[in-house]
Amino acid sequence: MSSFRSLAWSSVGKKVITGLTGFMLIGFVMVHLLGNLTLFIPDGGHGFNEYGHFLEHAIHGWLIYAFEVGLITIFIFHILAAVTVAWTDKRKARPKGYAMVRNAGGKSRKGLPSTSMIVTGITLFVFVVLHVKMFKFADHPAVTYDGTTMKNLYAVVVEAFKQPLITGLYVTVMVMLGFHLRHGFWSAFQSLGLNSDRYMSTLQVLARVFAVLFAAGFVALPLFLYFFADAPVPGGH
Amino acid sequence: MSQSMTINLKIWRQASGAADGGFVAYTVENVLPEMSFLEMLDLLNEQLALKGEAAVEFDSDCREGICGTCGLVIKGTAHGPHAATTTCEVRMRHFHDGETITVEPFRAKPFPILKDLVVDRTAFDRIQQKGGFITANVGSAPDGNAVPIPKTDADKAMDAASCIGCGACVAACPNASASLFVSAKISQLSYLPQGQVERGRRALAMVTQMDAEEFGDCSNHGECEAVCPKEVSIENIARMRREFIKGAFGK
Amino acid sequence: MSSSGASRLDAKIPSGPLAEKWDKHEMDNGLVAPANRRKFSVIVVGTGLAGGGAAATLGELGYNVLNFCIQDTPRRAHSVAAQGGINASKNYQYDGDSVDRLFYDTVKGGDYRSREANVYRLSQLSMDIIDQSVAQGVPFAREYGGTLANRSFGGVQVSRTFYARGQTGQQLLLGVYSALSRQVAAGTVKMFPRHEMLDLVVVDGKARGIICRDLTTGELKRYQADAVVLATGGYSPVFYLSTNAVNCNATALWRAHRRGAWFANPCYTQIHPTAVPQMGDYQSKLTLMSESLRNDGRVWVPKKAGDTRRPNDIPEAERDYYLERRYPAFGNLVPRDIAARAAKVECDAGKSAYMSSQSVYLDFNEAIGRLGRDVVADRYGNLFAMYEEILNDNPYETPMMIYPAPHYTMGGLWVDYNLQSTIEGLFVAGEANFSDHGANRLGASALMQGCADGYFVVPRVVANYLAKGGLGEASTDHDAFQEAESSVRGRYDSLLKINGSRTVRDIHWELGRTMWDAVGMARNKGGLDDAITKIGALRDEFWQNLKVPGEGDDMNKQLEMAGRLADYLELGELMARDALAREESCGGHFREEHKTEEGEAKRDDDNFMHVAAWEFKGDGQTAERHVEELSYENIQVKTRSYK
Repeated sequence: MSSFRSLAWSSVGKKVITGLTGFMLIGFVMVHLLGNLTLFIPDGGHGFNEYGHFLEHAIHGWLIYAFEVGLITIFIFHILAAVTVAWTDKRKARPKGYAMVRNAGGKSRKGLPSTSMIVTGITLFVFVVLHVKMFKFADHPAVTYDGTTMKNLYAVVVEAFKQPLITGLYVTVMVMLGFHLRHGFWSAFQSLGLNSDRYMSTLQVLARVFAVLFAAGFVALPLFLYFFADAPVPGGH
Repeated sequence: MSQSMTINLKIWRQASGAADGGFVAYTVENVLPEMSFLEMLDLLNEQLALKGEAAVEFDSDCREGICGTCGLVIKGTAHGPHAATTTCEVRMRHFHDGETITVEPFRAKPFPILKDLVVDRTAFDRIQQKGGFITANVGSAPDGNAVPIPKTDADKAMDAASCIGCGACVAACPNASASLFVSAKISQLSYLPQGQVERGRRALAMVTQMDAEEFGDCSNHGECEAVCPKEVSIENIARMRREFIKGAFGK
Repeated sequence: MSSSGASRLDAKIPSGPLAEKWDKHEMDNGLVAPANRRKFSVIVVGTGLAGGGAAATLGELGYNVLNFCIQDTPRRAHSVAAQGGINASKNYQYDGDSVDRLFYDTVKGGDYRSREANVYRLSQLSMDIIDQSVAQGVPFAREYGGTLANRSFGGVQVSRTFYARGQTGQQLLLGVYSALSRQVAAGTVKMFPRHEMLDLVVVDGKARGIICRDLTTGELKRYQADAVVLATGGYSPVFYLSTNAVNCNATALWRAHRRGAWFANPCYTQIHPTAVPQMGDYQSKLTLMSESLRNDGRVWVPKKAGDTRRPNDIPEAERDYYLERRYPAFGNLVPRDIAARAAKVECDAGKSAYMSSQSVYLDFNEAIGRLGRDVVADRYGNLFAMYEEILNDNPYETPMMIYPAPHYTMGGLWVDYNLQSTIEGLFVAGEANFSDHGANRLGASALMQGCADGYFVVPRVVANYLAKGGLGEASTDHDAFQEAESSVRGRYDSLLKINGSRTVRDIHWELGRTMWDAVGMARNKGGLDDAITKIGALRDEFWQNLKVPGEGDDMNKQLEMAGRLADYLELGELMARDALAREESCGGHFREEHKTEEGEAKRDDDNFMHVAAWEFKGDGQTAERHVEELSYENIQVKTRSYK
């Protein structure tokens, strides 16, 4: 029979990979959102900066590297599998398209969230690259708390979100994340074989709830900072 | 009986698999609402024949929705605008006088066009040959009641087994995936005690052949279930993936 | 006009007691050793229950099988359309069923015109079919305890029908298809879809091959083998409108008939009582509503002739539940021929459903009251949905309208006990042969016969034929192949050259109306004589005034249909001649001159307890009628009564 590698990269294997990595990414996004909540603490960014500092230095800085390597791997597999499914294989399988296409409606799950997965996905990827560049590979102001000097990432965030363009783009991308999760959440269960007619309607509700919660959580932050945060104090205390 | 209609058609015509195709416009008069869609095409072919023009070729046989032979994309939807019907069951009362209807063949690379609206779906047969069976030679069967099968399992197996192999799932899938067809057979046999022995092997072999035929992959859009004349559920696709994972990691 | 064809019509029934004949025959049959089987090749035409079952089983045994079908895949053979179920004498319900009871019911149901030994074998094998199908994964309906469920069908008083919702034929066929698929993968069966058999090749008196047209390219091809099995189904589309698929045809049978296979009882046709009525002249088929509906539905017409009120406006007292009235013992579950004719009697008297003078009501109101709408929906939901889509009328609320429609043909090529025709090496199975159902087939018995012939009988009798040896070489270069191919080519070239002004459908429609009126549910001498003349004239019209567009060397369905219609135009005449010669009424054959005072069929056992087998004598010649006498040693021949 076929080798494990060819099974893993079969049409079903790719779905399993997309679903598994999707779940992992959902987990990551969830933790990320929880971390972001520290920004809502009215402490001038102290909690947020401590959180960032902790992440960078835990286990002598190894934790963040391990996570980054893991995340990059997960991203690569998620993207490669998804792009072959929804782009290259799709084009190969139907070289000549229809003159007229209508959604079938009824029990179909096809809609903007499902058809835009590739667009929302790629946008999210570009966003992640810019996001990492902004927080990891740029010069940051410093701040000192109780004798420990650390990056003042809070200042970076607030400065950014005081610009309407950035806030607008960020909100747009987070709405796209919501769309991505609307289809991706239940789809991951389906792709891993963890679905049946009994669970389908519950999963659909959960997917909607998840999508709205995540999008709302991430969207709330820039709006909050834009409207309510004080301009950051350079240099700290 | 009822008021007759005039129907405008835009039909895909292609002389052979190798030839270029294109849409040709036709007008059919005296179409009655109680006619089936294919009877309306019969009427068109009658008119063409009398003019000495070659008929529009399309596949059709039982004309009662069970054989799976017919299959057209009507106004952008496989088997037409109504759920749970085959092309032959579509009635003209769902269209209005003077309407223009676009008619296309099922499109997918593994379903090459043979002529006009006729496509070759033997890829399905080749997938079936890889494992869509229970090895049970004539003469070797135990009594039919020897192994009780829970009614719920028998019903689930029947739900999946009602697939007629028409290929509408492929036609409607934005990715041209055959997942619903393949999963229906894998799922049916996985519900039955007789199907357990070859379970893992079956799932791997049929999926491997589905890929070799160059069907697209599944993005869980669910268009397949919505156009399926027998309403085969995409829960079978989830089950196929479960079977596949078990098969890949099993012995 | 009858002559004894005794020498050619030897049924070769094994000696010994009825219950032991098949086993004894099996012991007497020759065998082919496993290692030698691959040296033999067998052509099987058709992939339904009989053909597909035979091809798969021969493949399992190790023979080289060439399997042909006109469909694009073997899974679409017309067995797929059978709805209600399959009979088997399992007696799982402990309601008194047995092999003997099924045998008795089938012979009685066939109005004592079937061959006793064949029917008994069928009844014995019926149990093995269920076991085999279950082993293949056919999802028959089950009880909550996990055992197989049964229901009852027309013409019997036990529950012996196994079913898979309303798709029993489909599920059994998919079982066959899966077995076939396995053999294709194993390399024992070579499958030829979209291939139509257009002639039989006979070499030195033995069937040795066929000529096919590749329906995709129009190319004519020759195939050679050591034996040929025809399982190409029946010929109901001779009536144009029937419950059959539009591609069902008699061409393979008719071509074999012209090559020397005698045609038995062509006039025995089954008009199914419950089909959606005809609505217009454009129609391409009649949709069957399963006989199982009569388990819960009640058939009625208004008591008053010409009553055009809607059914729900007609009070109970003004309805005539004529089946319950006329046949109290069986009620709505009388056999098909009886129910169909009874509907015709009412409609002829002007009593019909409002929509058409040729329709009666099938009412579920009482069943919905007794069982609840959900149970009725569970049992018949798919049929109700199908009906609603066609007539735009909801059967839960208003009674269904139904009318009889041509459905099944009991006649077919004559075969002996070994299913061998009058041509050596040509075997005929399933609906294509004639032997098991006599003059009327009971519901749920067609699937039984197809499976029995395919899985169990053909593989054994063909092995016996091959074991006898002495076949010799017959290459496709043989003169007989040359001659057959060029005759097919000539025929199809002529069809394309006529260039007249009438389409295939137009002429087929006219043939169908002539057949329905004169050779349909009721027949009489005047009408039959007239029909023979009309069909002859229509045949001339066909060959002079047909219009077939397109080319021969291309996919051309109009040409395919033209070829089939040409054969129907010959077969239709033979059916009329057979009906004319059979001066009695039996089963589905009802001669108006021969009926009881109550209007029931009146058999003439003294003169017609025989099979009529027709020999082709050449174009322009009248076929010759031969007879095989039927004898009933194990069953008492009675007047059939369902009162």
